[in-house]
Amino acid sequence: MPREHPIGRAEEIPEGQHRVVRVGNRELGVFNIRGEFHAIPNLCPHQRGPLCDGGVSGTIDYGPHTDFKLAWIWEGEVVTCPWHSLEFHVPTGQCVAFDEIRLRTYEVLVRDGELLVLI
Amino acid sequence: MTTEVSTEGRPARQRETLADTFVVDADVHVHEDPAELAEYAESPWDVALREIATVEERYLDLPGMSPRAEYRVPFPGGSNRRQIVTSAREMREGLDELHVDQAVLFPDHLLSLAMVRDPAFATTLASAYNRWLHERWLTEERSLKGSLVVAPQNPEAGARDILAHAGGREFACVYLPASGLKTLYGDERYDPVYAAASEAGLPVVIHSVEAVYPVFPFQLEQFRTSMAVHALAHPLSMVANLVSMIETGVPVRYPELKIGFMEAGTAWVPFIANRLDKEYIERRREVPLLQERPSRTMRRFYYGTQPIEEPERRADLVSLFELFDGENRAMFASDWPHHDFDHPQHVFGLPFSPEARRRIMGLNAAEFFGLDVPQN
Repeated sequence: MPREHPIGRAEEIPEGQHRVVRVGNRELGVFNIRGEFHAIPNLCPHQRGPLCDGGVSGTIDYGPHTDFKLAWIWEGEVVTCPWHSLEFHVPTGQCVAFDEIRLRTYEVLVRDGELLVLI
Repeated sequence: MTTEVSTEGRPARQRETLADTFVVDADVHVHEDPAELAEYAESPWDVALREIATVEERYLDLPGMSPRAEYRVPFPGGSNRRQIVTSAREMREGLDELHVDQAVLFPDHLLSLAMVRDPAFATTLASAYNRWLHERWLTEERSLKGSLVVAPQNPEAGARDILAHAGGREFACVYLPASGLKTLYGDERYDPVYAAASEAGLPVVIHSVEAVYPVFPFQLEQFRTSMAVHALAHPLSMVANLVSMIETGVPVRYPELKIGFMEAGTAWVPFIANRLDKEYIERRREVPLLQERPSRTMRRFYYGTQPIEEPERRADLVSLFELFDGENRAMFASDWPHHDFDHPQHVFGLPFSPEARRRIMGLNAAEFFGLDVPQN
């Protein structure tokens, strides 16, 4: 059964911003994407870089699913590792470059303005 | 299959940790400020350097000094990390976090020195940089060793610089910039450099940088992406210079000279070794100086690990190293603080034998650069 851990006030992370928090021995990145809060580990599986110190943007896509047209997708949903620029889709934890890599995602609740992460 | 990655379940502590291991970083980069170089440059180049200092610079791109004229369509995103280091203290702090004991400093903008068209300016840049590095970095922090920059535009001046700095132990090697190089390093015009380096007991290191430029192997205009240019420029530049040095017999003519190749990974080494060995069978009479298969000559060269190959099966990397005696010839290099730096923990964690790991992480580099190895 996951437990609730307080990680600060919701207004401390305005829309479009994110910050790194510590919960026990974990470091998590907490992201406010259009009013929804998401959390992923602050640890890149590539060379163990501090993933969530990276910036957030969208990313480029192209292929049969875009009718072979360049497309700008996932605006505000992609974090890029500051070490080697590996990209992750924050809401799902999916690594954009490698299908087989997906980060664990943590549910974040807002109760009375307090952010609670479920671990 | 989905790989769940979280902060839990860190790997069990290895018997020997990175922190207990003697680590030499064979390639880290300092950021040279043109205004600071101006203080070490002779007139009137000091005036030009102060003018250059007023121009806004970008990553490895400074108009007037190292213009990159990069073709990369900008989109938001990418790394937001600071990728320059501007003082010995900042470098030492960064390397402490990486558990690096000693490191060899290479430049930022002067990576492009071979493409500077005015030979007098190129010569001045190299000399000013060497004096600046000596005074501002190497005497400041003894665990940082210098690579003495030679401007390929003027090998005689480079030789004089080598001999002028040869007395101390602050410089650990001579750096030969390879990016956009018009005459490859096998040419006899560089003999004064090799003679001086041999006399000074300093190894030479060939190091390139990504560039699109109208000399082999940098005519890369046909490619659209940095992925393509970066994948090709570094290793092909190493291949070109190594082949050039083998065909004119640099290692035979300068038997005391140690030669290293930096920042191209190592997968290219067995490729060109095998290719040259095959040619040697049929064409030995063109290179009578060699007197042995080229791969044997190549086993006396040293190779930086970065950017280390990352095959799907990590054990393939151990096999790759076996193909060029990497256990005795590969030198860990991080390329800190550049965009594609390798964390030493990553290289340390590869499935090498403990002895090979110690050699690759530091002992090979200590041998190559002539560094002191701590005795405990």
